[in-house]
Amino acid sequence: MVTTQPSKWVQFLQSKLTQPGEWLLVQYWKHRAPVTTPTWVWKTAPGDNLQQCMNLVMPLADKTDVGRARAAKAVAANVDEIFTGLNNVGTVHFARFDLIGGNLCMFSVYDGDLENYLRDFISVFGSVFDALMELVEAPPPTPCGLHPEAFIDWIIAHDAFQITGDVPSLFPDEGNIANLPRDVVLLLEQHPNVQLGRYSGYPGKSAAQIRLATGIDW
Amino acid sequence: MTVEPVPDLADIQGNILRGYKKDHVRHLVLTITDPQAARRWLLDATSGETAGTPQVTTEKSYSEKPPTCLNVGLTHAGLETLGVAAKHLRTFPHEFVDGMASRALKLGDTGPSDPRHWKAEWQDPSKVHVVVSVHADSPGQREKAGKEVLDAGDGAAFDKTAQLDGDAFPGGQVHFGYRDNIAQPHFAGIRDPIDRPDRQPLVEVGAVLLGHQTPVEDVRWEVPQPKRLGFNGSFNAFRVLEQQVGEFEDFLSQSAALIKDNGMANMVLPPDVEKTWDPPTSRFEAMRELVAAKILGRWRTGVPLALSPYSPTPVCLGKLNDFDYANDTDGLCCPVGSHIRRCNPRSSRIVQRNTNHSRRIVRRGMPYGPPHDPDHPDDGKERGLLGVFICASLIAQFEAIQYDWMNLGLQDPRITGTNDAVVGNNEPEFSSFTMPVGSSSIELRGFSRFVHTVGGAYLFLPSIRALKYLGSLHP
Repeated sequence: MVTTQPSKWVQFLQSKLTQPGEWLLVQYWKHRAPVTTPTWVWKTAPGDNLQQCMNLVMPLADKTDVGRARAAKAVAANVDEIFTGLNNVGTVHFARFDLIGGNLCMFSVYDGDLENYLRDFISVFGSVFDALMELVEAPPPTPCGLHPEAFIDWIIAHDAFQITGDVPSLFPDEGNIANLPRDVVLLLEQHPNVQLGRYSGYPGKSAAQIRLATGIDW
Repeated sequence: MTVEPVPDLADIQGNILRGYKKDHVRHLVLTITDPQAARRWLLDATSGETAGTPQVTTEKSYSEKPPTCLNVGLTHAGLETLGVAAKHLRTFPHEFVDGMASRALKLGDTGPSDPRHWKAEWQDPSKVHVVVSVHADSPGQREKAGKEVLDAGDGAAFDKTAQLDGDAFPGGQVHFGYRDNIAQPHFAGIRDPIDRPDRQPLVEVGAVLLGHQTPVEDVRWEVPQPKRLGFNGSFNAFRVLEQQVGEFEDFLSQSAALIKDNGMANMVLPPDVEKTWDPPTSRFEAMRELVAAKILGRWRTGVPLALSPYSPTPVCLGKLNDFDYANDTDGLCCPVGSHIRRCNPRSSRIVQRNTNHSRRIVRRGMPYGPPHDPDHPDDGKERGLLGVFICASLIAQFEAIQYDWMNLGLQDPRITGTNDAVVGNNEPEFSSFTMPVGSSSIELRGFSRFVHTVGGAYLFLPSIRALKYLGSLHP
């Protein structure tokens, strides 16, 4: 069944006018002192360079069930190449593709630097991503092999923002749930998708170290 | 490998594809004080008229070796000051726009190497615009050419922020005593008379020049716009690296004593083999030299452990770069965590299976400061290396080596979590280095950081056409 959704304008107005006072306040805060969030500083602490998360949320150009089916088919058609490629990247613990609402998502846990990881992507299965980019909203230029920087920038822009460290410390005023810190509100305003925390059953180990320890060829 | 036409060598700055082989260098760190005069100087320095203004050297072959050679590197702030339009500045890679100090976490520049502790001339990156490098056969020639640069625009073009002189040591050694500058990429289609036999694959010029096929199949780095500004350009991670020679030598002595005192000496070096060395040496000195060799991957004479695991005596100088690690999987000859194996795994098995040869960079470093005097270890004098690391993508090559390989050891699970012992970001509480011995290993621990970054900048090395373009801007 093809679902019908309200137009983008109607969605926008609905989202903003539910609590118009709050929305206006956020816009005022943003205007007065915008929060800038350098990705590198927020995402990685020294020594915290293994088992990184990539939560890639790619809005589909066609969010209908037909569009979602096309995205599922594109993944299915390339799944062998993707898994072989991930194996060759060598630094990947887990990776999976999900359809969540109108988004095609790739969630993965990898070791090392995100941009190195993405460049390895390009070299091992760039053609697969080129095919996927045909299905997403406002895609980067393709082929990604000829535009690696633009591709990586696009991926980083669609990777859920990660709040590292002590999330509870972001909310120092425990007694008043309504009193949300301005910085947190502005951060969420800037980043619709946010990772709030992660758990590891074997911290500080690389994918290759786990494979070596468990007798799987690395 | 895709075979591409050889690029126009007259359009490429020298020292990128082939080294100058000169013994003296002066890096002038400059602030542009009069952009118009600076642009005029760029035109003069690329005019081909040699009288008055020293010319930027190109890769074109020469019949008579020039006494001095010149390179020009520009920071993002320098390009902006020269008048490059904002829309074009935005086309440069973001790590170059950010600048080296902003990339400190990624480069391992923390603790004593934190940019907050860098020397005064690097404290305000917005004032670092140009680094002009003068390479010369003699200090006098260096002085003359350097002065001519500073005289540009009747002295109005530039304000000198710093003058960094480097001088080669006899035998091509650097402060830690190693013979340096042995292994450089051999570029496809480029003839270099000093190329040594090398069993590694030829490297595409796109490893160091923008607009050409890179060593990564089907990948090209984006060329900053307009194309005449970006094409045939290159990047230089210029780093001033202070070296703690006394601490390094102490570490060698402590490690040698540890190995000897624990009865492991004969496990790592056959008995009396040091008597066959040229010159022969004591068992303790031999242990020190072995530790130095194991952490680097070469003996201090330059002889690779992969070819000569028990002797530093050069057998054949032509073989210094003709080796591989394919038959040394466990690092029994050359440890997996040694410096040269980390930086360039050659055809070793590594975790990131597609990257063995894709991060090759060109190194043109030169020592600065007086040699270490063991009789006066605490002379209070600064010494180190003026590091020039040239590549087409700072993030994909230089930073990737620094982050994934040097300071994480991601390429091999047996070293993951450790840093390069020679140049890594080490702290005594966590540092370790493993020397595999038979089915066992020796673990060296508790050493500190021997190399401190005290300054540096990401520089763009424009082509000759690009320098002329910059000189003719009318902002």
